[in-house]
Amino acid sequence: MNIKEYIESGIIESYVMGLASESERAEFERYCTQYPELVAARRKFEEKLEAYASENAVAPPPEVKVKVLEAVGKESRTAVPSNQPPKIINMENQTQSRSSGVLKFLAAACVLLAVAMVFLYFQTKQENQDLSKANDRLLQKVTETDSILNRIVGEQKAIKDSNTIVVNMVGTKVAPRSSANVYWDSASSKVYLVVKNMPQLPTDQQYQLWALIDGKPTDLGVFDATDQKVILQMKDTRKAQAFAITIEQKGGAKSPTLEKMQSLGKTMLTQ
Amino acid sequence: MLALKERNNQAFGFLYDNYAGALYSIIKQIITDNNELASDVLQEVFINIWRKIETYDQTKGRLFTWMLNIARNASIDTLRSKSYQNSQKNQELPENVYKGVANQIIQQNVDNIGLKKVLETLKPEHRVLVELAYFKGFTHEEIAEMMSIPLGTVKTRIRNALLQLRQFLK
Repeated sequence: MNIKEYIESGIIESYVMGLASESERAEFERYCTQYPELVAARRKFEEKLEAYASENAVAPPPEVKVKVLEAVGKESRTAVPSNQPPKIINMENQTQSRSSGVLKFLAAACVLLAVAMVFLYFQTKQENQDLSKANDRLLQKVTETDSILNRIVGEQKAIKDSNTIVVNMVGTKVAPRSSANVYWDSASSKVYLVVKNMPQLPTDQQYQLWALIDGKPTDLGVFDATDQKVILQMKDTRKAQAFAITIEQKGGAKSPTLEKMQSLGKTMLTQ
Repeated sequence: MLALKERNNQAFGFLYDNYAGALYSIIKQIITDNNELASDVLQEVFINIWRKIETYDQTKGRLFTWMLNIARNASIDTLRSKSYQNSQKNQELPENVYKGVANQIIQQNVDNIGLKKVLETLKPEHRVLVELAYFKGFTHEEIAEMMSIPLGTVKTRIRNALLQLRQFLK
């Protein structure tokens, strides 16, 4: 088929203006699907016709528009219910699925948050306990150190006090190498012993310090050789002409075993 | 176009404002003697456009072409309706109806608007055929009988007339 001849045959105008017969229309529409140039020519004529018709438009009475829109408005209102429901259901479905998605997300977030909080709670609790224990240990140590320090300060005070008498205990014939110092505060009656060199004893024996008051020995307490170089506070005594150290059974004896006297020192206050 | 197919009232109002004048013009070219009736037809045409907008097929032509044909068909239907025929005082006798219409057309040269003005540029023997076919809605067979000319001649003449019409529109 010669499409150019077909285009020029007047069929386009006939078709567009609604003058073509049924068979001519069917044929034209079929050719339109095959020949883009036919469609282009048709479009061109349609545009011209439309432009011409618009140029030659006659304004209709204004009430026609009012009536048309009124009728159309009525129809669209009645048409809406039959058209809309499936759309509304769709939207509801969408919001439902979306909100259930949100709920799932929120639930998951809540579970995670709860787990995290429990974890944090236990972790914090553990930390708190650890810190509390550390604090207790520190406090205990401080108290210990404090008491040690107080003791040392007290001892130093006593030793350096003008009233304090230093008694140099020297070794006896039994134990010539034994030596110790006794610091005796005659004012406060406090007695301190500084072990310089005392031999190790069997575990069932201890050294015992005695004060010789008017010829009678008075017990001032026991000590071990391991307490070397440590200031030991012994029992108080008001009077003492001399101090003596003996070896006794563990816990001390009521009266000194004089043959085991390790060292002896006389005070200056010998009366 | 989508807004129209979804029956958007605002889009439809816009459509009316743009095309009512052009469509009213074609209606008046067919229903020449009754403005009130032409207005009623225009109203009916737009309501039909609204109802049938979903059936409009873009591949078969422009929206205006589709609307123009609805307006033309509605006008011709009105022209042919019994009530309209009865309202015509100067009715021809039924057996002479075709000849009468043809004569009417040939005489009717005044007060032409729109496409009818284009028809004036055509040769009279062409013009009458376009008139009968386009503005009166007669089939080619009816015209052939009416004018006592062969069907092939009617077709050829109408095609030629339409081609001249296209030339004029350029």
